[in-house]
Amino acid sequence: MSFPSQDRRADEKLGRILGRVGSVRTRLNSLALQHAIFYTLAIVIAAGAAAYAGACLLSPLAFLVGASALVIIGCAGIASAVGAAWRMRASAVYAAAIADDRAELKGRLSTIVALADRQTRGPLWSYLVEDTLGHQDEFAAARIERRRVSRAIYPLAAALLLAALAIPISKIKHAPQIAPGSGDEELTVDLDDLHLRPADPGDESGMQVTADAATMRRLEDKLAREEETSGEAGGNSLNQLVNRARDMAGHLQSKLTGQQTASKARLNLRLAGAGGDQEQNEIHRAPGTLKHRSGDVAGQFKQDHQESSREFELPSENDSRRPNSEPSPAGYGEPGAQVNSDKDNPANQDNRAADRRIQQGGDNAANGGAAHGIGADPDSLFGAPSAPTLGSEGFEIAIEARPVERGAKGAGRAYVAPKVRAPLSPNQEPDEPVARAAVPAEDQTTIKRVFER
Amino acid sequence: MSSVHAEAPTVADFARTFRRIQAEIHKLIVGHEDAVEELLSALFAGGHVLIEGVPGTGKTTLVKTLGLALNLSFNRIQFTVDLMPADITGTRVILSGEDGRREFSFQPGPVFCHILLGDEINRATPKTQSALLEAMAELQVTVAGTTYRLKPPYFVMATLNPIEMEGTYPLPEAQLDRFLFKVRLNYPDEGELTRIISSTTGPEEAGIVPVFHATEAPDRIEALKRLVREVMAAPAMETYAARLVRATQPDSSRFVTGEAAAVHDEMVNRYVMFGSSPRGAQALILGAKVRALLDGRANIAREDIERVAVAALAHRIMLNYAALADGIAAAQIVERVIKSVRAGKS
Repeated sequence: MSFPSQDRRADEKLGRILGRVGSVRTRLNSLALQHAIFYTLAIVIAAGAAAYAGACLLSPLAFLVGASALVIIGCAGIASAVGAAWRMRASAVYAAAIADDRAELKGRLSTIVALADRQTRGPLWSYLVEDTLGHQDEFAAARIERRRVSRAIYPLAAALLLAALAIPISKIKHAPQIAPGSGDEELTVDLDDLHLRPADPGDESGMQVTADAATMRRLEDKLAREEETSGEAGGNSLNQLVNRARDMAGHLQSKLTGQQTASKARLNLRLAGAGGDQEQNEIHRAPGTLKHRSGDVAGQFKQDHQESSREFELPSENDSRRPNSEPSPAGYGEPGAQVNSDKDNPANQDNRAADRRIQQGGDNAANGGAAHGIGADPDSLFGAPSAPTLGSEGFEIAIEARPVERGAKGAGRAYVAPKVRAPLSPNQEPDEPVARAAVPAEDQTTIKRVFER
Repeated sequence: MSSVHAEAPTVADFARTFRRIQAEIHKLIVGHEDAVEELLSALFAGGHVLIEGVPGTGKTTLVKTLGLALNLSFNRIQFTVDLMPADITGTRVILSGEDGRREFSFQPGPVFCHILLGDEINRATPKTQSALLEAMAELQVTVAGTTYRLKPPYFVMATLNPIEMEGTYPLPEAQLDRFLFKVRLNYPDEGELTRIISSTTGPEEAGIVPVFHATEAPDRIEALKRLVREVMAAPAMETYAARLVRATQPDSSRFVTGEAAAVHDEMVNRYVMFGSSPRGAQALILGAKVRALLDGRANIAREDIERVAVAALAHRIMLNYAALADGIAAAQIVERVIKSVRAGKS
C-alpha cells in the first residue's frame, strides 16, 4: 500500500525524468529541422551558383543540359535531405533510446518512457525510477547531444563559399574554340571538315566568314546540304525544338548573367578558295606570318594587310591552277575585273577597319586577278580599267569553326598540309594578281593573238 | 549456514544471493564461470538446463554442488538404454497394510525432488526421455491416471555426452525445446586444470555451505524467481527478442507464415532447417531479466538479451546437412543472427 504523498513524489520523479527526455527530444528534433533547412539552402545556393557560372561559361545548349541536370540533382538532394531529417526526428521513445545508448543507461529510459502510461507498473517500478533518477546527470540534453547546430551547417558554408567563388569564375569568358590573335599558332582546316550549324544565340565565339564568290557558294551549298542532312536525320520538328531550347537557354543565360552578346569580341574568319584543291580549301590561321606569306605565295594565300592578326584567311581561288573551277556568279569576277588586295582597295580597308568585318569585295578582286591566267577568254581580256569594288552578293554567316579530329566524311584526321616555304627565284615575280590596266592599241592585236593561240 | 532475508527480496538481495551461490559452487568447480552463471540463471528463470560436455569436465559435480549450495532435495538418474519410464516417474506397487489388506500405492520415482540430474540423458530411449516431458513442462507426473504435483522449485539438469554416440538416442526436438538453456562445458585451461588437481587430490575436501536453510530454501528460491518475473521489459526489448527468434527461421521454411522476417540472413537460409520456437523468445527475455537483476537493474537491456542468446537459442535451432558438412555450429548461427539483427535494427 502506498500513500498519496509517496505517489506524488514518485510522479514528480517520473516527471523529472520525462522532462529530461523531452529536452533531449527537443534538441534532436531541432537538429533534424536544421538538417533539412541547411541542406536545402546549401543545395539551392550551390545549384544557383553553379547555374550562374554555367550561364557565364557554357554555350546555351550545354548550359541547358547542365541546368536541367542541376535541377534534377537539386530536387533529388532536397528530397533526400528532407527525408533524412524526417527520419532523424525523434519521438519520446526514440529520444529515450538514443539517451540510453549515449549515456549507457542500458534501457532504463526506454523502459520508463514506454511503461510510464501503464496503469499497472509492477513492484519494481519505483526502483527503476529511483535508479534512473540517480543517473539524471548522465542523460541531460547537453550531454546526450552536445550540438545545438546541425553539422549540415558545413555544407551550407561550403555552398556559400562556392557561391562566392562563382562570381570570379563567371568573369572568365568562354574561350573561343579558335583563339584569335594567339601568336604564332597556325590552324589549318579543310573546308570539307567544317561542320556547319546555326550559331547559338548566346555563343560569342561565332566568326564572320568572308571569301570569294566561289568559295562562298561552296560554303553556302555545304550549309544547305548540312541543313538538309540534319533535317532528314533529326526531323524538322526536332530541329525546331533544339533551336527553341537553344533560344530559351540563351535568353536565360542573358538574364542570369546580364551580359549582352555585342560586348563580346568577334572572331573573323576569312575564306578564300573553292573547289577540290586541298590547299585552296584550307583555312590558315597564321597571324604572325601573314605578312611574309603575302609576298611569298601570293595567289595561294591572300592576305589582307588591314586585317588584324585575329583574322583568318583562306587561300584565294586561283583559276590558273584550277581550270575547272566553278564559274563566278554574276557580278563577281566579270571579265576584265582585275584585282584584289586591300592595299589597292582603300575603301575596303576602311570598311574593315570600321566594323571589323571582312566583306566579300576582296573575293571579286581575287577572281579578277585570277582571270589573267591561262585559259581565260581572250574576248574579255580588254576593257576599261576597273578598281576592285565591294561585292554586293557577299553575306555573313555565323559559324562555329573548330579543328576536328575526324573529317566531315569520317575519313580520319583532317589532312594538314605541310608548310613549305620555298624561296622565290630572284627572277620570279611574285604571283600577285596584276591590276587591270589600259593596254596600248598597237599591242592589243598581238596579245589577243597570243591568247587565241 | 547463513540466513538470507525472510522478506520479499529486492534487486540487491537477488544479486547478493546469486553471487553467494556462485561462490559456493566455485569452491568445488574450477572455472566454468559462464556455465555456472547460466545454470543459476536458468534456475531463477524457472527453466531447466541441458549440459553438454565431454567426460570429466565436472558436469555431475556441478549439479551436485548446486544441490548442496541451495540445500534442496537432489536426485540423480543415470540414463541407460534399458531405463524405463516408470523408473523415472515412479509406479504403483501393491503394499500390505497393517490390517493385512493389500492395496496399490504410488511409489514416487526419482523425479520427485527439487533438483534432478539426468545423467547422459541421450543414452535412454525416446520413450523414457519423454517421461520427463510432463514433469519438466508442467511440474506434474501422471501415473496410472493419477496426477502427482511436483514441489517447486523444480529444476532438471540433463547432461549430454557429445562423444560415444553409438547406442545413444538424440533428444527429440520437443524435449530439447523444454530446456531453457543449453550450457556447454569445455575443457579447462592449464591454470584451471592445475587448480583442479590441487583441490581434488589433497586430503581436505572443500565444504559447501548451503546458502539457505533447508526449510526455507524452496520459498526463498521461489521468491527470487518471482522477482525475476517482475523485471520490466520495454516493448522495444520484446520486439528485439522476437526479431532475433524470427531471424533464426529460414525463409524457405514451410512453417514460416505471415509477414516475412525483418532480417534475412544468408547463413540462416543456407544452414538452418528449423529455427527457434517461441519458447526461445521466452527464454531470451527470462534469461535477460536475470542478467538485469544481476546488474542491479529492474529493466532488461539489449545487452542482456544478447548475453543469453546463444544459451537460449542454439539448442533450438536445427541445422541441415550442409551445416554439418561445413562444420557450422548452431552457436555460430546465433551469433550471426545477433549481428544481422543489430545491423538491421531501426
